[in-house]
Amino acid sequence: MDATTVIAVISCAIVLAAWLVLPSKATSVKPVVVSEERKPVSISA
Amino acid sequence: MKIDSGDTAWVLASAALVMLMTPALGFFYGGLVRRKNVLSTIMHSFFILCLISVQWVLWGYSLAFGPDKFHLIGGLEWVGLNNVGLTPNPDYAATIPHQAYMVFQMMFAVITPALISGAFAERQRFKAFVLFSLLWATFVYDPIAHWVWGAGGWLHQLGALDFAGGTVVHISSGVSALVAALVLGRRLGFGKEKSEPHDATMTVLGASLLWFGWFGFNAGSAVTAGTLATSAFVVTNTATAMAALTWMTVSWYHKRQPSVLGAAAGAVAGLVAITPASGYVNVMGAIVIGFGAGVVCYLAIQLRERIHVDDALDVWAVHGVGGTWGALATGLFATVAINSSAANGLFYGNPKQVLIQLAAIGAAWGWAAVGTFVILKVVNLFVPLRVQEEEELLGLDISQHGEPAYAL
Repeated sequence: MDATTVIAVISCAIVLAAWLVLPSKATSVKPVVVSEERKPVSISA
Repeated sequence: MKIDSGDTAWVLASAALVMLMTPALGFFYGGLVRRKNVLSTIMHSFFILCLISVQWVLWGYSLAFGPDKFHLIGGLEWVGLNNVGLTPNPDYAATIPHQAYMVFQMMFAVITPALISGAFAERQRFKAFVLFSLLWATFVYDPIAHWVWGAGGWLHQLGALDFAGGTVVHISSGVSALVAALVLGRRLGFGKEKSEPHDATMTVLGASLLWFGWFGFNAGSAVTAGTLATSAFVVTNTATAMAALTWMTVSWYHKRQPSVLGAAAGAVAGLVAITPASGYVNVMGAIVIGFGAGVVCYLAIQLRERIHVDDALDVWAVHGVGGTWGALATGLFATVAINSSAANGLFYGNPKQVLIQLAAIGAAWGWAAVGTFVILKVVNLFVPLRVQEEEELLGLDISQHGEPAYAL
């Protein structure tokens, strides 16, 4: 195994390991309130 | 010389793929700006496609690839495509018509100034943009293209490796973007009010089309339809994917959530970084290059934000820094096992290649920075670079083009 391959494997391992510890949280986002229904649009030829 | 139909078909198809990248860039950038500036941003890319297509056949190709003068610039012998016919030119591509090579290179010349437009988005006067782009293509892009790719160019003779444009396209545009951002100054309200991307879906679509077109950019640069094109195709896809994964991971760690726009930007950073190396490195080298691109380009954006430079769409961080990393990494991971006509890099026993790559990087940074500064100052003598304050507040779609993007 050459040096390039070793560095490549370490790079992949870092990324994969990070996914295991990174948070998986939902951010509280205010729901968008639709104040009124959309009115039908008249299309004239 | 015999024309190879397979090679010709591949190079022409690649030219079409690279052509698509410029409108794709317009969408990538267009989604990142506010809705009052989306048309003007897309127009930058679309207009440059038209402008440089004409500049290239009139004098651009001759300056970049014409008969060498002092190892610095091509001569004017090929102006108007004089002497650029349908028989192959063995200096550049021995198995395809010379005009096929010319039109393939045209698409590189087109997208490079379009990349810079992301730096001055939302505030540059259209007329100043036109003048700047024409002068920049002539006095910055064409000379650097000759140094690196032209027969007799000094960096070419020095042995600099740039398979598809890390120095010629990405360092030159990225560094120029930084200079342009500094000369034009910040947008109104920069740092005080949020400038959110108006359509992230448009940006992801643009990034995806860029990825698609980049196969022509890199694999097409083999100018043959064979083993080298195949290898370039594979490493391009690998580095891009790895950079997107890495960027998303770094931003996830930093901002606590995996960003969609981050994944798109990371993919573009990977495409940029693998560009100079795509004809010289193996797939393991591509993984390292992609990983490095995801990290260094993300960090470059943090640095850019910290020093309050308004490079609106992070052209310097992605193209300037990504291109620099790619050019340097080529000197680290290049191997003659992939391309026997090139050279080994540091990891394959040739440390000298790193020094050569650094020389090419320094030359591209220096010429692009000085050339861009001078051109902007000259243009400003005739046309103000920025729109007026009320025009900027109104938005460039209306103030510069008289058209709104959306009638919703």
